[in-house]
Amino acid sequence: MRFGTLDINEIAAAAPEIDGYGTEPLSLKNAQVLNVTSEVSAAGSDALLPPAMNPSIPPYVECTVMVFPDSPWGPFTTGELRLVGRAGFRPRARTFKTYVDNPKAAAELARRWGFPAVPGKAMLHPRHERIVVEINDERGRRVLDAEMMDREPISGSEIQYIASMHLARNRADGKLVLVQVDPEYVFTKVDRGFSHFIYIDQEAWGTKGLLSLTNPIISTWAQCEVILPKVRYVCDPNRNALESTVKVG
Amino acid sequence: MLPPKEETTAMKFGIFFELSVPRPWTRDSERIVYENALEQAALADEVGFDYAWAVEHHFLEEYSHCSAPELFLTAIAMKTKRIRVGHGIVVCVPEYTHPIKVAERTAVLDILSRGRLEVGTGRSATWCELGGFRANPDETKKTWDEYVHCLPDMWTKERYSYQGRVWSMPERAILPKPYQKPHPPMWVAVTSPGTEIDAADRGMGALGISYDPLPVQEKKLQEYRRHIKNCEPVGQVINNNCAALTFLFCNEDDKFAIKQGTGMFMQFGLLANQIVMCREAYPTKAYASAGLLPAVRSQAQGPSDNAGVPEGVAIGDPERIVKTLKKWESAGFDSINFLTQAVEMIPQEQVLNSLRLFGKHVIPHFKREQSAAQGAAREDVAAAGGR
Repeated sequence: MRFGTLDINEIAAAAPEIDGYGTEPLSLKNAQVLNVTSEVSAAGSDALLPPAMNPSIPPYVECTVMVFPDSPWGPFTTGELRLVGRAGFRPRARTFKTYVDNPKAAAELARRWGFPAVPGKAMLHPRHERIVVEINDERGRRVLDAEMMDREPISGSEIQYIASMHLARNRADGKLVLVQVDPEYVFTKVDRGFSHFIYIDQEAWGTKGLLSLTNPIISTWAQCEVILPKVRYVCDPNRNALESTVKVG
Repeated sequence: MLPPKEETTAMKFGIFFELSVPRPWTRDSERIVYENALEQAALADEVGFDYAWAVEHHFLEEYSHCSAPELFLTAIAMKTKRIRVGHGIVVCVPEYTHPIKVAERTAVLDILSRGRLEVGTGRSATWCELGGFRANPDETKKTWDEYVHCLPDMWTKERYSYQGRVWSMPERAILPKPYQKPHPPMWVAVTSPGTEIDAADRGMGALGISYDPLPVQEKKLQEYRRHIKNCEPVGQVINNNCAALTFLFCNEDDKFAIKQGTGMFMQFGLLANQIVMCREAYPTKAYASAGLLPAVRSQAQGPSDNAGVPEGVAIGDPERIVKTLKKWESAGFDSINFLTQAVEMIPQEQVLNSLRLFGKHVIPHFKREQSAAQGAAREDVAAAGGR
């Protein structure tokens, strides 16, 4: 089996500090979630996954934009790019960055769940024939453009969102861990459509030019409640997740 | 309409080939896997197995390098005398294989095997494969249905023409014709919930290919038996057989067998889970199940006996395996197919020994003991003759 070959030291400095694993779940109602997916070349993607993870066959990326109109920290949006792989038996995605437009929300997402939060803004522009996705960094510079086209309604039961793996440093012992974050979703409305990635600034996302988009898969848009969960599992980023995963909550 | 064939034995047994090839790959890796598999099939024929099935998979790195099963099954047929060779399955999606080619190549294999072919049909469950062929996952159930309704006439009519939704052809003679008359038995791969009903409604055998625990498969079997009484057969003969799939590793030393067998089981599950299934990547009601994945997980984590063998899995010494398979038999299954190897983690000599022991000490417990459940089910359908 193939394993990720990413040198964790390369990204360790940017890993947020997580304040233990005792966070309580957080319900975020009336959210919108837009997910755009595309296969990527296996040649480069192995080097973007930590050794704890295996590349999926085929590897693919997900751009996920979430709009939260209400939260304990006020409204906020997130824009992420993730590479889907496996942690042992399970589909899991490494999150490259999470652009967040609300500093309080960004700090809490990083502190409680290890999100690699950085300042920026994600936007959804719904139109009749497509939804346009834009993610900008804090200077307003575009880091990702994508579209979901020809949307059509489907059932929420047809969607399977992939849980994330966040590289974080545990404040208590200073150790680097991959934190598994698997939100729950309660759907009220779901559409799917064609995927179209227009632009990815690989430097901004830290993907070192290794992401080569090869085959668009599909996009989904959902109106839903997102429940950020308790942290339940962490693993050593440098060891096979099958052997190093620990239950912490 | 011909009634189902009279069976002379109760439980039948098959060997099921995925042909997984572990990394690192060398020039000889695939050759060794294929040659080992042929040796296993030849031995299975000798020791009393009834079927040798081969999957059709494409692009599934390490998990399965069996992309041309018609060739592999032909090689098995050439090396064996008695064992039936089965497509487990032919993918009935036009982007993979045109229906005319399916009819032709299965007929050739049936001739070369002297009427030993079983034709399993299906539609693929992975995004890796469907996406690779640029097939539309929303369409595969429909294309499969069209294929299976066409195949019997393509096999049996002197000349055939067709105008359908997915494909069409002007009148031509599709040649050659299968050796078996009226045609080879047809099966449906059953993974997604409800496919067992699709199989029953069409008078086709239910070929279990997911690694569901016994209670799950038993429930599917009951649904199948209930529906097939009122089937509208697609073919000229009803195949009312239900087959399940599990793992086999038999050894004189029970503890050793459990260690090796559960290791194979877990390794296979791990490998299967690296593949992007359709449901993971492409939301559609056409794929309600995540394929093999949840089944492998639940069986890996589900109930097991005191020795740690997952329920229904044929791992252990012959005595333990007989006990396990009696449960499948009692549930009313007609046959059990076995994966006997995964990523070559079990040395070939141990696999061969496992097959020998199974033939010598397990199979005799199941010959000429037609169970009441199987007998009753067959009689019901025979009396009905389909609808």
